[in-house]
Amino acid sequence: MLNPLITTARESLRYKGSGQVLWLLHRISGLGVVIFLGTHIFGMSMAAFNPPLHDAMLAVYKTPLFSIGEIALAACLVFHAVNGTRIAILELRPSLWEKQQVATRWSIIITLILLAPTIIIMAYKSISYYATHGLR
Amino acid sequence: MASTTITPGHTVRKVRPIPQTRNRFELGMWLFMRYSGLALVFLALSHFWMQHVLIGTHEIEFAGTQLRWGITGQPVTVEQVIWRAYYAVMLVLAVAHGINGVRQVTYDYFGHRPAVYKGLMSVIVVIAVLISLGGMAALFMGAAAGGGEAALR
Repeated sequence: MLNPLITTARESLRYKGSGQVLWLLHRISGLGVVIFLGTHIFGMSMAAFNPPLHDAMLAVYKTPLFSIGEIALAACLVFHAVNGTRIAILELRPSLWEKQQVATRWSIIITLILLAPTIIIMAYKSISYYATHGLR
Repeated sequence: MASTTITPGHTVRKVRPIPQTRNRFELGMWLFMRYSGLALVFLALSHFWMQHVLIGTHEIEFAGTQLRWGITGQPVTVEQVIWRAYYAVMLVLAVAHGINGVRQVTYDYFGHRPAVYKGLMSVIVVIAVLISLGGMAALFMGAAAGGGEAALR
């Protein structure tokens, strides 16, 4: 069970450089988003079917551990979106294949540009919330 | 995959070609991943930046969600219909995109064991379909389900 994962991780870092690393990050970020997506849709549906359970879920969303996880989620989501756009553009426009190295670099740069303000705002809001409401 | 030995030390693998129907399905899913992905860039990022960042997760309350979806029991406004459509389209695209992504990952690790692969995928698809139907019902039949009058407070 774990062996293929370790092989995937090691070979991806070693085999063909940056493109392989982006492939691995795309896979990990996608799995991260899809796990949250399932619980999120379920939790939000409970607003209609079971309001007390929905409120309990919102309370979990307002804990420090979740806030940290949510920043990781932001990183996964933004990277997956930017890198996915790179994949879609390159695969639908084979004439651009010569510029793969440039595309790889820009995928990382745009992710960081979008992610920086996102994480700063999220961290600022979280810290000010826990400063006034205390840690639970 | 059957293998035949021609000369000692040289193994030639005969790979069975992918059946035509499976091939068409994979091409369809490949295209779907590209187009749904491009749509989700706008849908998922706008949702995340609105609700989780600009409003902020710490400001999200039950009453706000109730108002946005129009599940208070009051007549539904145009704005609420637009929000429902936005969430419904995002839900369908995101779940389908997610299932296919998980399918590809599952195939990479368990493709050589068809029974395990099919079993895992059946469980994943059933869970995903149930969650999606629940989400759709919450959006469009939320008031009838008791999200309105039988509210918390």
